[in-house]
Amino acid sequence: MQPHEQWDSSYASPGFPGGGSNSIPCTKPMIDNRGINHLERNHRDFPQWVQQVTEQLVENQPETGLSESLQTSAENNIVPALLGELRPAKSARRNPIEGSGQQHQWFAELGDQITNFSNDAKGGGSMAKGSDDQSLNLMTLLLECAVAISVDNIAEAHRMLLELTQMATPYGPSCAERVVAYFAKAMASRVVNSWLGMCSPLISYKSIHGAFQVFNNIAPFVKFAHFTSNQSILEAFHRRDGVHIIDLDIMQGLQWPALFHILATRMEGPPHVRMTGMGTSMELLIETGKQLSNFAKRLGMSFEFHPIARKFGDVDVSMFQIRRGEAVAVHWLQHSLYDATGPDWKTMRLLQQLSPRVITLVEQEIAHAGSFLDRFVGSLHYYSTLFDSLGAYLQSDDPSRHRIEHGLLYREINNILAIGGPARSGEDKFRHWRSELPKNGFMQMPMSTNSMAQAQLILNMFPPSHGYSLVQGDGTLRIGWKDASLYSVSAWTSPASR
Amino acid sequence: MDISFFSPPEITTFFHKNPQKNDPYLDMQSTNNQPQSSHTSTSISSDSGEPCGDGKWASRLLRECATAISDKDSTKIHHLLWMLNELASPYGDCDQKLASYFLQALFCKATESGQRCYKTLASVAEKSHSFDAARKLILKFQEVSPWTTFGHVASNGAILEALDGENKLHIVDISNTLCTQWPTLLEALATRNDETPHLKLTVVITASIVKPVMKEIAQRMEKFARLMGVPFEFNLISGLSHLGGLTKENLNIQDDEAIAINCIGALRRVQVEERTAVIQMFQSFQPRIVTVVEEEADFTSSKNDFVKCFEECLRFTTLYFEMLEESFPPTSNERLMLERECSRSIVRVLACDDEIGEGDSECRERGSQWTERLREAFSPVSYSDDVVDDVKALLKRYRTGWSLQPQQADHESGIYLAWKEEPVVWASAWKP
Repeated sequence: MQPHEQWDSSYASPGFPGGGSNSIPCTKPMIDNRGINHLERNHRDFPQWVQQVTEQLVENQPETGLSESLQTSAENNIVPALLGELRPAKSARRNPIEGSGQQHQWFAELGDQITNFSNDAKGGGSMAKGSDDQSLNLMTLLLECAVAISVDNIAEAHRMLLELTQMATPYGPSCAERVVAYFAKAMASRVVNSWLGMCSPLISYKSIHGAFQVFNNIAPFVKFAHFTSNQSILEAFHRRDGVHIIDLDIMQGLQWPALFHILATRMEGPPHVRMTGMGTSMELLIETGKQLSNFAKRLGMSFEFHPIARKFGDVDVSMFQIRRGEAVAVHWLQHSLYDATGPDWKTMRLLQQLSPRVITLVEQEIAHAGSFLDRFVGSLHYYSTLFDSLGAYLQSDDPSRHRIEHGLLYREINNILAIGGPARSGEDKFRHWRSELPKNGFMQMPMSTNSMAQAQLILNMFPPSHGYSLVQGDGTLRIGWKDASLYSVSAWTSPASR
Repeated sequence: MDISFFSPPEITTFFHKNPQKNDPYLDMQSTNNQPQSSHTSTSISSDSGEPCGDGKWASRLLRECATAISDKDSTKIHHLLWMLNELASPYGDCDQKLASYFLQALFCKATESGQRCYKTLASVAEKSHSFDAARKLILKFQEVSPWTTFGHVASNGAILEALDGENKLHIVDISNTLCTQWPTLLEALATRNDETPHLKLTVVITASIVKPVMKEIAQRMEKFARLMGVPFEFNLISGLSHLGGLTKENLNIQDDEAIAINCIGALRRVQVEERTAVIQMFQSFQPRIVTVVEEEADFTSSKNDFVKCFEECLRFTTLYFEMLEESFPPTSNERLMLERECSRSIVRVLACDDEIGEGDSECRERGSQWTERLREAFSPVSYSDDVVDDVKALLKRYRTGWSLQPQQADHESGIYLAWKEEPVVWASAWKP
C-alpha cells in the first residue's frame, strides 16, 4: 500500500462539506476498554481476517504478527489470516453502543492505526503474494475510507474511492475483492448524495424482484425463511376456518403457493383465506394478487386478495378490515433493499392494534441502528459472509451469481450505506425486533421441531450443505454460513388474540 | 469551458426532494400518497436488467444534465445528478455504466476537482498495470474485437508495400499497443522471397501507463525476431513529455535507412496547438510512408462548447461501450479495465481544463480533420487491393457487426472500421 499523497488544503474546495481539513486525529492510540469491548461484541462472528486486522490494531503490535507464517483459508477465497497463531477466543458480549462521540474517537484512531499497520505490512517479510495481498490492500483502504466518511472528511473519502473504484473488481475469484467493489461503489454514491443533500432512493422494483427470484433459486436462505415461517403460520391456523395473512412486503408472493398447497390439503379442509399484500407499487401488487388468486383457484381454495401500496406503519388498522373470528397472521420478511415499513414505533403500534394470532418475523443478522461506522462494520462482516457462501459453489463468472450480487446484495449495501441511517432519515430503527417485541406485550412462540425439520430439508436441497449452519436457540431458528449467522426466524403471538 | 457553474448546496439537514410527478424522463410511479417523509422511495418502470437496447435512459438524462449545466440551472442539475447517482452502476448494463462514468466526470467538474481526480485515476491505473495484466488485456481485446487489429493490418500492409525492396528498414512506432502489431510484419519480412532485410524498430510511447511493461516487451520482441531469423534492433523512447521533442538524433535515424512512421492513436495525444509542428517534424525525417490510425470522434472543434463536446463524448463512448458489451462475455475483467480506461478519458475531456500538460491529451479528431492537417505535409496513399482484402479477411474472423467503409468523400482519405454502420476507427497512409 503506497502511503497516501498529501492533499494540500486547496483541494478542500467549498464544494465539499466539512472540507478544509483532511486530517484524521493523529493522537497516539490508547487501548481503551470500551473500544475493545465494542470489538469483542461481534468477535465471534467476524470473518477471521477482518478480526485479525482490527485486533492487530487494538493491540498495537504490528511487527510481531507479520513474522509468523500465514495460514491460508483454503475453503473460501477470503483473505488469509494475517497472524499465524490464533488468538484465544474472547467472550462475546453484546454491549450497547456508547456515546457516538466516543465511537468516533476510537474509530478515528483505528483509521490511523490501519495506515500505520499497512505501512509496516509492506516492510514485513512474509505476506502472502498476489491476489491476497491485493485484497488486503483494498480492504484496508476501504476501512480507511469508511473512517473518513464517518468523520465527514468527504474530500479524502472521495479520493480514496477513486482509487478503490479503479482497483477492485466484482468479477474476480476473490470474494473479498467483490465485496470491496460493491462497498466502494455504495460509498461513492453516498459521497455524491451527501454533496447533493438528497438521499432518497430511486428504485427499480422489477429488477430487484427478478434478482430476488434468482437468489431464491440459488441459495437456501429465502426458502429457509419461507418454509419455516409457513410452518409456524400453519400451526397457528390449526382448526381455524377463516384466516387472514398480512404480508408486509409481498413482492412476487413466492412464499405463499407452498402454504396454500398445505392449507388446501389439510385434514380439516381448507379455510377461507384472505390475504393483504403490501408493497411498493400497486401495479406489481395487483399482478402478484392475480397470480396467487389463480393458484388458489386451481387448488379449489376460496381466496381473497387485497393490495395495499403503502408502508405498513403508515396505514390505519381499519384498512385491514379484520373480521370477527378470523385468525390473523402477520408475516414480515425483513430485508435491507429499501424501507418497507416506515417508522418502527408506528409499525409496533399497528401490530399491537392488530393483535395477530401469529407474527412470523424473519430478520437479517445486521443491526440497522447505530452510527455510520457501526453499520459499515456490521454490514461488511455480513455481506462478506454472504458473498463467501455464494463463492463456495458458484463460479466467478456465473451470471446468476452476478445477478444476485449486483441486483440484490449491492442494492442492500447501497441502501444501508448510501441512503439509510438514522442521522439521515431522522428515524430511529430498532436494533432487533425480536428484542423489542417482548417489551411491547408480545409472547414468543418457539419454533417447533417441525420447523427445524423443514429447515433441514431445505438445506439438503442446496449444496454445499455442509457449509451452512442451522442453529436453534432462544426459540428462534437461525441459518448462517460457517460460523456467522445470517437470517433468523421467530414467531410471536399477541396475548390479546383469539 | 466553464469553471464553476453553481454553488454547492447547503447541507445542514438531509431532506427529501420529491421528484416531479410528471417527470419527462422516467415513467415514475409515486409509491404512496404520504406527505413529505424522509424516505419516500420512488419506483421506475423500466427494468434495468435489460440489455442496453431498452430505454436508453442514460443518454437522455445525461444530455439533459449537460444542457442544464450549460444553462446553469442549479435545481435541474441537482435533480438530474441525483437520479443519475441512484440509477448508475459501473457493473450493470450499458445505460448504468454510461450513467456511472459520466456522473463521475460531472461530479469532478462540479467540485472543481477534475485535475486531481484524473491524476489519481491515472496513477492508480499505472501502479496496477502489471505486464501480465496489460498483455492479457490487449490480447483478449484483439481476440474479441478488431478495434486495434484493423489499424495494424492496414498499416502493416501499407508499410510492407512502401518499403518493398529496401534492405535497411527503420520503423518509428508511436503507439501504445505493446508491439502487438509487429509479429505479423516480422513474419512477412521473414517469408519474403528476397533477402530478409534488417529491421530497426524504435518504439515511442506516449501513455505513461505503458512504461513499466515495455522492458519485458522489448525482450520478447528481440526473441521473436531471432526466431524469425530477422536481423533486428529494438529501441525504446519513453521519457518524452511530448512528441515535439523527437529529433533525428534521439530517434537515431540514419541516412541509409528507409523510414516508416507508424502512428496508432498517437496524434490525439499531442496538444492541439502542436499538431501542425509534429506533422512537419515527421516530414523532416523524410519517411517513405506514414501510417496513421485514430478513433473517429471529434473532441477538438467543440472544446469551447460544453454541450457539443459532451454530446460527442457521449455518442462515442456509447458506441464503444455497446461494442465492448457485445464483444466480451458478461463478467469480463478485461472489459472492465477497458471501460475504466475510457472513464479516465471522459474525466480528462469533460472535467479538466487543458492545462494538464504532460502529454495524455485526449482530444480526438475525425479522419477528415486529420486529413486536412496531414495534407499540409504529405499526400495520401491508397491502400492496395491486397491490403483491403487482408482487412476484409480480418473482419470476417470476428462477430458480425463489423464492416469496412471506404473513404466517404473526395476530401477524405483512408478507410474506416465501422461498428453497426457507424465509423469508429480510421486508418490512412501517407507519403511525402
